[in-house]
Amino acid sequence: MADSKEHTLEPQHWAERYGDYLFNFAMVRVNDRQKAEDLVQETFLAGLKGRDRFRGQSSERTWLTSILKRKVIDIYRKQYRSKESSLDAYEIDVSDGDFYRSEHPFKGHWLEGKGPHSYSLLPEGEMEQEELARFIQLCIEGLSPQLGAAFIMKMVDDEDSDFICKELGITPSNLWVMLHRARLRMRECLEQSWLK
Amino acid sequence: MKVFMSKRMIACDEASFLISYRSDHRLGFFRWWQLKWHLLSCHLCRKYARHIGVLNKSLVVYRDQCSHESCGHRLSPEAGKRITQGIRQELNAK
Repeated sequence: MADSKEHTLEPQHWAERYGDYLFNFAMVRVNDRQKAEDLVQETFLAGLKGRDRFRGQSSERTWLTSILKRKVIDIYRKQYRSKESSLDAYEIDVSDGDFYRSEHPFKGHWLEGKGPHSYSLLPEGEMEQEELARFIQLCIEGLSPQLGAAFIMKMVDDEDSDFICKELGITPSNLWVMLHRARLRMRECLEQSWLK
Repeated sequence: MKVFMSKRMIACDEASFLISYRSDHRLGFFRWWQLKWHLLSCHLCRKYARHIGVLNKSLVVYRDQCSHESCGHRLSPEAGKRITQGIRQELNAK
């Protein structure tokens, strides 16, 4: 049943109602406590400044989250455009030197100890959701900022590929190679975390 | 025939890329065939394909849990106070 009631803003309650939710949202994406706190503060202030533009068609939480999401994407974009970043390695070469052999005749084969060991990636049977979330969060934190940004936007936020490429200023080829490399590392991390 | 086949066989790096790529796309027939052929003979890549399937499913669970509900991160009391004061100041300034 559609909710046709227009939503209103109650900024005096934002911190207590949405502070933890937005902080959690930010932490999952930027993995830095101070940065996440700053983002929450900036989001509330941006919401206050822009409250005249709120049309009431979405809930307060959804509206504030969309503001926060834009701020997170701004951070990702800055990471991609920083002087240290280079996207050349993600253009064409799917071979990742950390995982595959480079010398003939075994070029492209798994490096010793880098291929999958266990039959199952995670414990058989149902893993507690909290435990799984903890493992995944830990492994995402281990990704480089560039890989992490692409991975989170695609796999956690489920954003459209064209949107990701446009926001980060990368080509589709960059994106698919980056996702591949992120999955390589995530898989390895999860397997090692579980085996420990 | 042997030379024809060997030139078209892929190594593990390409196979694992295709495994990742097919999570989000449909492979064309030739690429599908190349991957299938490789998986017939490479037990490590077969395991990898299985692992990526589990990873993708786990991420859906993670996405549902941690994107929309708390994943254990909470604002510190100090940060909460600071943020509340910031909002009050801004409201009083209007």
